[in-house]
Amino acid sequence: MLRELGALLRREWLRYIRTPVWIISSLLVPILYLILFGQGFNYPGGPAQYLGAPNYISYFAAGMVGFVALTMSLFSGANVIFDKGLGIVKRQAATPAPRSVIFLSPLIFRSLIALLPAFLVLGLAILLAHIPGFVGLTISGSVGVLGAFEIVIAVLVLALMFNALFLAFGFALESPQSYFGIVNLLNLPILFTSNALYPPGVGPDWLHQIAEYNPVSLCVNVLRENLFGSSSYYPYIPEVYLMGLLAWAAAFISLAVVLGRRALRTP
Amino acid sequence: MPDAIVCENLVKVYGGVIRAVDGVSLDVPEGEAFGLLGPNGAGKTTMVSILTTLVRPTSGRAIVDGLDVAKHPEEVRRRIGLAFQVSTADGELTGRENLEVAAGLQGIPAPEAHRRIRELLEQMQLAPAADRLVKGYSGGMRRRLELAVGVVHSPKILFLDEPTLGLDPQGRAGFWDYIRHLRKDTGVTLFLTTHYLEEADQLCERLAIVDHGKIVATGRPDELKQRTGGDTVVVKPSHGEDLAPILSAVPGALAVQVIAGAYRVKCDRGEAMVPLIVTACDRAGVEIASVEIRKPSLDEVFLELTGREYREEDTEHGGWASERLGQMRGGRP
Repeated sequence: MLRELGALLRREWLRYIRTPVWIISSLLVPILYLILFGQGFNYPGGPAQYLGAPNYISYFAAGMVGFVALTMSLFSGANVIFDKGLGIVKRQAATPAPRSVIFLSPLIFRSLIALLPAFLVLGLAILLAHIPGFVGLTISGSVGVLGAFEIVIAVLVLALMFNALFLAFGFALESPQSYFGIVNLLNLPILFTSNALYPPGVGPDWLHQIAEYNPVSLCVNVLRENLFGSSSYYPYIPEVYLMGLLAWAAAFISLAVVLGRRALRTP
Repeated sequence: MPDAIVCENLVKVYGGVIRAVDGVSLDVPEGEAFGLLGPNGAGKTTMVSILTTLVRPTSGRAIVDGLDVAKHPEEVRRRIGLAFQVSTADGELTGRENLEVAAGLQGIPAPEAHRRIRELLEQMQLAPAADRLVKGYSGGMRRRLELAVGVVHSPKILFLDEPTLGLDPQGRAGFWDYIRHLRKDTGVTLFLTTHYLEEADQLCERLAIVDHGKIVATGRPDELKQRTGGDTVVVKPSHGEDLAPILSAVPGALAVQVIAGAYRVKCDRGEAMVPLIVTACDRAGVEIASVEIRKPSLDEVFLELTGREYREEDTEHGGWASERLGQMRGGRP
């Protein structure tokens, strides 16, 4: 099991490092968002408007981390569809390697790789706060070791759950067109029903109800509550949001396992 | 010899209507090179997919190395190797890396895998290109890599699905040499599908000719060729006249058959028959469009068993594969 998993993880890695355009663009896009949108949308207001964040860019940058983890996962299923078209998945299925390994290797790799741009955004946002002419993320809380750990886990779990879901679509669907149809259908609604980009107070009440339970919101809450030390703005401690996120992840990953198993079953 | 592969009344129905495999029974003893020969769409790839656990049979049984493929797919996968019709190598990886991934998926420990991969790269003459990305490989190199991936774990039974599809005659002959060496060195049981008659003739000890999911004949290539019983002279009249009475009366004509407007006269030696046939037609005042001698061949066997030209059947399906078949046949010596 481990040898087979290792072989496929190595394949993922080799394919990753041989597509520099993808690496660079996946790192550059969130940075551009941060610089273009983040700087442009720097609305006035303080902690009261932005759930404890000292300003909008701080609020936005924390949201971007969750957003990046989501968008990185959108592409993982596309690779599976291309691999299927090239017969690579069939080749893997014809080996005695456990079916779970065929699903787990891209899941693990893609989720870990998603952490790179996500935390690059966080680092850059913190850096921007110290560069004249730019606004950036100001950490106003005291993030301890536990807080930092919670942040990493929250982003990783978010990446895992969406990667699992979109990989499952990749295994289940045959054409890139239908896959991107699904991506298009889910991507923006997931984002815009979260509190990643919009501060509370914008939009109708029902949207806020949804936003409270959106997994991206739950992940971002873990970040914001830890970064801005703003527990008074949140009804729960970060661990509660993390538990909520884990519940979502359990549901999504179960769904992905069902879809993936069906897709990998011998026809 | 125990049987490496046994099929009992194997059926695969797709979508409730298409009987891709329609009651196939066959057995392949260990160490044999067995071929499924038939036109595109005859059900050959489906047969391979069932035997390699990639597709479940609708009914019937398939036993590979003593194991039922439907009941013990994982055990079967350990014992078999497979080269697909279309190269499944990862273009973004080098030849060596592709083999390393394949060895890993077979659970081979790294030191052993490295030794085996070096050996295979040498054997398949891929060593100089081993560390180049596969996307730069030629068609022949990809086929050889596909074969190497299929045998990286030294399987007992090797399945080759149209192994030389798309190769030029030279590349094909080279590939056949690799297969012959492989068989000599390892004694592996070979199950191959092909629509190249020459390939079946060259590589297989025994053949099954398949058409529309059914086996129409089984035997050694020479046995099958003998079935046509000597030469055939094919005569086409210019204006669609009935030649049967004239041709049957020619001395030496063993039988006369009409297939697609062409009269096929069975005889011992075609060369001796042609002048007699021409004279007979001339006397009867019938103009002949063409006369052709056909020696016993698998084309002839297929034609007599199915009533269709091998080539015609293929073009009916149209598309790229038939073009390839046409090219191949045009290029045959």
